[in-house]
Amino acid sequence: MTASSRLLALLTRLARQREYGVLALLCLMVCTVTLVNPAFAAPANLRDLLVKAAPVVMVACGMTFVIVAGEIDISVGSLMGLLAAILGTLTSASHWGLPVSVGIAITLLIGLLVGLINGVLVTVGRVPSIIVTLGMLTLLQGVTEIVLAGEWIKDLPPGLRVWGVGTWLGLPIPVGAAVLVFAACFVLARETPLGRRIYAVGGNPQAARLLGLSVTRIKLFTFMLTGLLTAAATVVSVPQLSVVESGIGKGFELLVITCVVVGGTSIRGGRGSLTGSLLAALLLGTVGTVLIFLRLGEMSTYWERAIQGGFILLAVLADHAARRGGGAAPAGQES
Amino acid sequence: MIHAFFFRYETLLGALLICLLFVARGMAPEFTTVETQSELLRHVWETALLTLPLTLILISGGIDLSIGSIMALCAVVLGMAFEAGLSPYVGALLALLTGLGAGALNGVFVAYVRVHPLIVTLATLAAYRGVAEGISLGRPISGFPPGFVLLGQGDAAGVVFAFLALAAALALARTSGGLSLYAMGYNETASRFSGIAVDRIKLLRDTLSGAAWARAAVFFVARRNTAKADIGQGIELDVIAMVVLGGTSVFGGRGGIIGTVLGILLIHETREFVGWQWSRDELNLIVLGALLILSVLAHRLFLPRGEKSRRNLILLIGEPAMTGRFLSFSIAAALALSLSGCAKTSERQQCSGCRNRHGCRVR
Amino acid sequence: MSASLVEVEQVSKAYGGVQALSEVSLTIRAGETHALVGENGAGKSTLIKILSGAVSPDSGRVLVHGVPLAPGDVTGAEAAGIATIHQEFTAFPFLSAQDNIFVGHEPRHSGGWMLDRPRMRRETAALLERLGVDIAVDRPVGELPPSARQMVAMARAMSRQSRVLILDEPTALLSTRETSALFGVLRRLQEEGVGLLYVSHRLEEVFALADRVTVLRDGRWVDTSATKELDRDGLIRRMVGRDVNALTGSESASRMLGERVLEVRELSRTDVFQDISFSVRAGEIVGLAGLVGAGRSEIAQTIFGIDRPTSGSVTVAGKRLKPGSVREAVRSGVALVPEDRQHLGLVLPLPVGDNLVLSILRSLSVFGFRSSRRESALITRLLRDLAVRAAGARVPAHTLSGGNQQKLVLGKWLATTPRLLLLDEPTRGVDVGAKAEIYPLIRRLAAQGMATLLISSELPELLALSDRILVMRQGRLAGEVSGADASEEKVLSLALGEVPAAAVGRRQP
Repeated sequence: MTASSRLLALLTRLARQREYGVLALLCLMVCTVTLVNPAFAAPANLRDLLVKAAPVVMVACGMTFVIVAGEIDISVGSLMGLLAAILGTLTSASHWGLPVSVGIAITLLIGLLVGLINGVLVTVGRVPSIIVTLGMLTLLQGVTEIVLAGEWIKDLPPGLRVWGVGTWLGLPIPVGAAVLVFAACFVLARETPLGRRIYAVGGNPQAARLLGLSVTRIKLFTFMLTGLLTAAATVVSVPQLSVVESGIGKGFELLVITCVVVGGTSIRGGRGSLTGSLLAALLLGTVGTVLIFLRLGEMSTYWERAIQGGFILLAVLADHAARRGGGAAPAGQES
Repeated sequence: MIHAFFFRYETLLGALLICLLFVARGMAPEFTTVETQSELLRHVWETALLTLPLTLILISGGIDLSIGSIMALCAVVLGMAFEAGLSPYVGALLALLTGLGAGALNGVFVAYVRVHPLIVTLATLAAYRGVAEGISLGRPISGFPPGFVLLGQGDAAGVVFAFLALAAALALARTSGGLSLYAMGYNETASRFSGIAVDRIKLLRDTLSGAAWARAAVFFVARRNTAKADIGQGIELDVIAMVVLGGTSVFGGRGGIIGTVLGILLIHETREFVGWQWSRDELNLIVLGALLILSVLAHRLFLPRGEKSRRNLILLIGEPAMTGRFLSFSIAAALALSLSGCAKTSERQQCSGCRNRHGCRVR
Repeated sequence: MSASLVEVEQVSKAYGGVQALSEVSLTIRAGETHALVGENGAGKSTLIKILSGAVSPDSGRVLVHGVPLAPGDVTGAEAAGIATIHQEFTAFPFLSAQDNIFVGHEPRHSGGWMLDRPRMRRETAALLERLGVDIAVDRPVGELPPSARQMVAMARAMSRQSRVLILDEPTALLSTRETSALFGVLRRLQEEGVGLLYVSHRLEEVFALADRVTVLRDGRWVDTSATKELDRDGLIRRMVGRDVNALTGSESASRMLGERVLEVRELSRTDVFQDISFSVRAGEIVGLAGLVGAGRSEIAQTIFGIDRPTSGSVTVAGKRLKPGSVREAVRSGVALVPEDRQHLGLVLPLPVGDNLVLSILRSLSVFGFRSSRRESALITRLLRDLAVRAAGARVPAHTLSGGNQQKLVLGKWLATTPRLLLLDEPTRGVDVGAKAEIYPLIRRLAAQGMATLLISSELPELLALSDRILVMRQGRLAGEVSGADASEEKVLSLALGEVPAAAVGRRQP
């Protein structure tokens, strides 16, 4: 092997490690905008950015596992809407007025339950996950409407507000929760048997079955984890809002899936990185703010979605270039 | 052969549809009158027209999440062209070209960059709507001339749909292109190794479907007399639900137009009936979501002729031979009952269209 | 030495209406290699799946050390000391070698929640050393060569300290040299008292390795006898239930060679093959030999237009082909019967008839509409000519046996009336009976003027069929062997680039 081909191989490996690409892009963006408008780097602004990205990061962690296991969950947005409605109804004084801790516990339980139902339909019912969660997306929207009965809930108790706007050791609670979730998921993925088995099941389900791994139980776990994390994300994000209404969570699932995909997780399963998802969530969460701080005019924020879409296309093009650049293609026929 | 018919998913859908109408007849007789039905059906054809390209896309192993976004982009192009002083018809032409271009871009990524279509269209779902929002800055554009607005009131949509559905069914069953689509959906690599121009077919498929979404956008704008970047939001999920409920597999290879038509009718009738009876939209969402999951669940558990599904079926309703008889009996009974209901109403109203309606639904 | 490790007692299994196994018994003793042979569909895979716990039998039982095994319990079978290396590629391509070895029975600490990484690393190193291989344990297994993946599977099986090792076609992906390395490991395990159940289509391997052979036919036990008391023909007779002599039948009368049909000039694809030039004439069968990974299939696929070469040209019947266009290759009369017929050759869920017309859809249809009259005429003729055993043209292709599927792929391409036939491992995984039908077919086609490029890893097959043999080594043509002076030794020495003393010596049939 010559020196140049070795260099090429190294570059290819780097390009295939999506985390570096996303990180570079994020740094580039942050540096540029800070140069143009130093106010961007103000602590308060950065703090807002992180708080905004926190729920996305939390759900993206769960979603990464679901996609690595070879499935997909497009119901997380609707689920968040439903859980927001439930949390609001349970705790608001003008409705049930239950203690905040009970409200949160029930919310987490329901998140877990919906994940369980999704998982059972996918694994035991053998219905493709995109259909199960598409149906669930529609269904949960309906349930949300029933729970809210067309009302807006405005009187969230202060005890609940703390979860969204409070701080703990100087760290905003949502950010702290996201850090905790990410760290736990990171360890789960790399250092536990279960985590490795999720990757195994996604990479080659046939083989996993022959080795006696319970594909059902492992996939079920990923769906339940995602449900639970969606509930947790709801608990730390909804109290930031002034009202609970039925529009919460609309389009959230697409944002989360976009993060996971931009972060380098393969939609075919078996391959993916939590770090990538985290960085991509930060990247995509920053775009909107950056557009404001670049002072391109008020209307420039309308381009946010276009840029997010562009990032996915950029990511897949980078993949394509890496494949073209040589190196062993991943084994296995695509069919 | 008789058996094969009763084990078909389409048969199950048809039976479900008939049962639904029968129940509806019992609960709200005026819902099943010809007048009501034809009035209600008028609104479904526009969405229904979108299901035909999507059925072909799913059969050949693709998927398109960017339908609504392409519609939005085309609508905005049409609106801005009109605003710039062009005739709305020229604007419509530009919108059509935009649709072709947007579809082609999807196709290039799917066919030549070889990215999973779910990812490509997820990206363009955000990107196209983003561009639509960006160039129009979210403003609505209205005030189209009356002649153009009339375009959207067209009652011909039903006829056009029937014609196109027939053409699509024929194409799938009887043309070489149809077999190529199925082969691609089942096994893309083997199709490539058979000399089928997989990449070119994908590009063509996505480009033409882009034009189909653009056409829908033009009619949509004409009907609403407004072009705005938020049109068609979430319509892709509606359309996908109809096609998937009709038995077309999201993994490609399996499915057909008859199923899609039944899927459209089933969703439409359910939605309208729930709206009619309880007039609560949220119930509708729940029923539709459950319908989608349960019907596909039934499909997966009972219908394929494998060992396991046979066992499941036998567990549920006894031996297959019995089931066939049971199903045929229940369908016949449902038909007879709904026809007798027809006869009863015919004392009050004319029944000519009624038989016609059943003829169309049972297929 | 002869204590029974595993006893299979009267095991039966039916799938739907098909009896895959009926009342089969066999024993595996400690320290012996027990070979299991039979045609495709004889029930070998089912028996293996029952032994490994992946499938539960309808009746009968499996005893390990006299203790019955819970049916359909993979974990239980592994705990009882049975390790299986399945035929399908059972590694996880995106996990590292280390993770592949231990997934499913990971060493743990902290109350069973966490992986014991240091122990995994230690044990992996020890296992690989015992196997005598050097593998990058942190790289994803999908990036390793096939032989290394096979070794990872071996290491996995050994990591359980298994008493019984079941190997299903373990050499299918291995080169000769790697095969002999594997045999060395297997012999060592045997000496340590491990019982081996060895399944292979390659009878030479059975004779080289096994102590006893059990023959299955149509799901029934036929015979178990010591390898010493058997000869090749006797074994084949037991497998097929009749005499088969067409296998190594002598070369037919010399054929008339016509004009050059295929001319490949300086064809290269970066990192795959370099500077390949050769030609094939009408009526000629040119063999292409080499180790797995030497670039043979890739050359065939490049000629056929699946892949694009980086440089060089392909000329068919005087016309230069546009690179990377399957359609043009087909139009010029090139046909490729690919190696992996399940994934590349056929669309399995589609009916037999549709599969046969898939490659000539255009010429059979009128203005894009399919003509059922023309189609059924062609389908009937092809099914008859090739003696495909199928329950009609409308049954899905996956209901056919391996040999019949292969005939279907051949038929699909004969339908295009090609000038040039590229055959990539046409008899891999095909049983002896079907081989005996495919060989004469290839010869008959050549006699009718077909130019054939035959890729095969089975040297006897290449020697029996080819007029001359091109040998590849590491992406380059290493030489050519033709006619009278062709021998296995010559081909091998070119393919390996050395004189393969050990490997050849042991593998003489």
